[in-house]
Parts: sequence; structure tokens; C-alpha cells
Amino acid sequence: MADQEAILASLKKEAEEGCISLEAAIIIGRSFSCSLRTVERISLNNSILPLRYQRNGLSCEQQLTLFKSTVSIIGCGGLGGRCAELLARLGVGRIILTDPDHFSESNLNRQLFCSSSSPGCRKVDVVAEGLQEINPTLETVRHSKHFDSESVQTADVVIDGLDSIPARKELSALCRSCSIPMVHGAVKDWYGRVGIDFSANHLTETTSRQTARTTPPPHVLPMTVSLIASLQVAETCKLILNSGTPLDRGWLQCDLLTADFDIINEDGN
Amino acid sequence: MRIQVKLFAFFRKGRFIKEDRELPEGSTAGEVVDSLDIDREEVGVLMCNSRHCGFDTILQDGDIYAIFPVIGGG
Repeated sequence: MADQEAILASLKKEAEEGCISLEAAIIIGRSFSCSLRTVERISLNNSILPLRYQRNGLSCEQQLTLFKSTVSIIGCGGLGGRCAELLARLGVGRIILTDPDHFSESNLNRQLFCSSSSPGCRKVDVVAEGLQEINPTLETVRHSKHFDSESVQTADVVIDGLDSIPARKELSALCRSCSIPMVHGAVKDWYGRVGIDFSANHLTETTSRQTARTTPPPHVLPMTVSLIASLQVAETCKLILNSGTPLDRGWLQCDLLTADFDIINEDGN
Repeated sequence: MRIQVKLFAFFRKGRFIKEDRELPEGSTAGEVVDSLDIDREEVGVLMCNSRHCGFDTILQDGDIYAIFPVIGGG
């Protein structure tokens, strides 16, 4: 407790216009032998905004809510990797990454954390290391395996970054059983879809019809991935902050080729 | 009878976005899909007047019928 007060006193001393720089926070952490994460918690608890969140334009209270939240990302490729980056920049405090795969060269066109040196590396490792570079106070949990309840049970929101319909249905059922909202996203070519799968609706069930034919991995353009992932993170942020209007009555269908964006309401309204 | 057909994503390619169609009474949603040369295996969602429907749904005069392809990538 004495340390907390001393840390707070240092934060107040170093803060400029209500903001504390990362460099100052690192020095304070070192001088009190505590983690940067602890310094950030004390800072946000006392309305001192880490400078790197200043341009988010959110209140200190909202940044604290994000800091205290956990988002689970299932699938760390195109959608999942981009979502992870945006959530780290936004200031979400804890991200659980689940993906059994390794990067391959064919991921380079659209997967944010895939660079020319990453093929062969585990996706969760590359993404977690990249996130740490972006936001050093972020806590990441890695599961290099198929998702299970361990991947989602501590999350406030789950993000669907999967690329197969059976897996997506399985995740939707798991999230429903844990009463955790799942922010669904899917992409193909120039087209994408975003929506929120709550226990009360059956978004995944109704939009992910299982066809008998086995199809090869779909073609996906990088801008479609970025757009859909951004929309998924916007919905995630709103759910965490309990602000705005969630996309929960149906889904958003995006056609980048014709620049058409349609909200498809499922209830006949 | 006259219905409106709306197509989404790549189903629009070489076809249309929205079109009115004259159909014989008793036509089903699946028959419209077939008449557009759309492979039923590629259909992800069928909606009639904003409600989910199936290939066997019999369409009525004035219905708005929407066909979405499977989109599953991540």
C-alpha cells in the first residue's frame, strides 16, 4: 500500500497535462521494482491517462474498463491477427490467443503479423510478441491448440477469427454455454460479414449453413480482412464499454466491389 | 406473380443486384436459385421478406427474396 502511494506520487509528479508517458512509467516501474502493468493500473485508477491512449479520446474510466477486460481471439490469422493489433492499441488489458497453426507463405497477403521471416513459426507466438511491442502492459495468454473452454471461459468477449464453418458452429455453441458474446466475422474475396452471436440469437446457426461439399481455402483480399476485423473490434469495444448500439439484431453484409453495406435484420423488421 | 430477387456478394457477378421476376404460382425458392444458375451448394442463407427460408419455401406474390452465398474465411 505504501508503495502504491509512492508510485502514485511519482506518477503525479511526472504526469503532464494529465498524461503519463511510457518512458516515465517504465522508469517508475523500475525504481519501485514493479511491473509496468502495475504502474498502469495505479495510473488509470487515479485518472492519469497513459499518453499512448490520449488520441483514443476515451475517458480514463473507459480506458480502465478496457484495461480490466479480457478478449479471447480464436484463430490468429487474417481476422484474428488484425483484431489483436487493434485491441492492443485500443488498450484492452488481456488478450487470449488460440490457434494451433503455424504461419505459411500463403498467409503473407493478408495476415498482419505474417512477415517474410514468419513462415514455420507458431501463429500465437508471433502475434503475442508483436502485441507486446505495440503495448507492453498487455497480458497475453497463448494456446497453440484447437480452442476449448480454457480459451474462452475467462473472457468478456470472444472474437471469431476462424476459417471453417464446423469450427465456427462449435465455438458459437461453446460461447453460448458460457454466456459470452461472440463477435462473428467472415470473409471471402471482396465480401465480408460481421455480427454478434449472443445466447439469445442464433446468428452462426442461421448464417453458416453447412454444405456437403468440401471446398478449398477461400480467396481473401487483405482490405476485406482489415475492414471486417475493424468492425469486429468496434463491436467488441462497444460491448466492453456498454456504449453505442450493438450489431445484434442481424448482421452487416459488406460488398467492397460494389461499395454496398447492408444491415440484414433477421426478425422481419 | 411478381417477386423481387436480391443477390449478395459474388452471386451478383454476371447477374444483378436486384431484379423483379415474373414467376408461375407455386414457384419455390429453390427453383429461383436454379433458374439463376446458382449452385445450391454455394448458398449460405435464403431469406424471404427478411425471414429465413428454405429451398422448398413456396413464394407468394410481392415477396422479397434474398440469396446470400456461403462466406466462411477468416
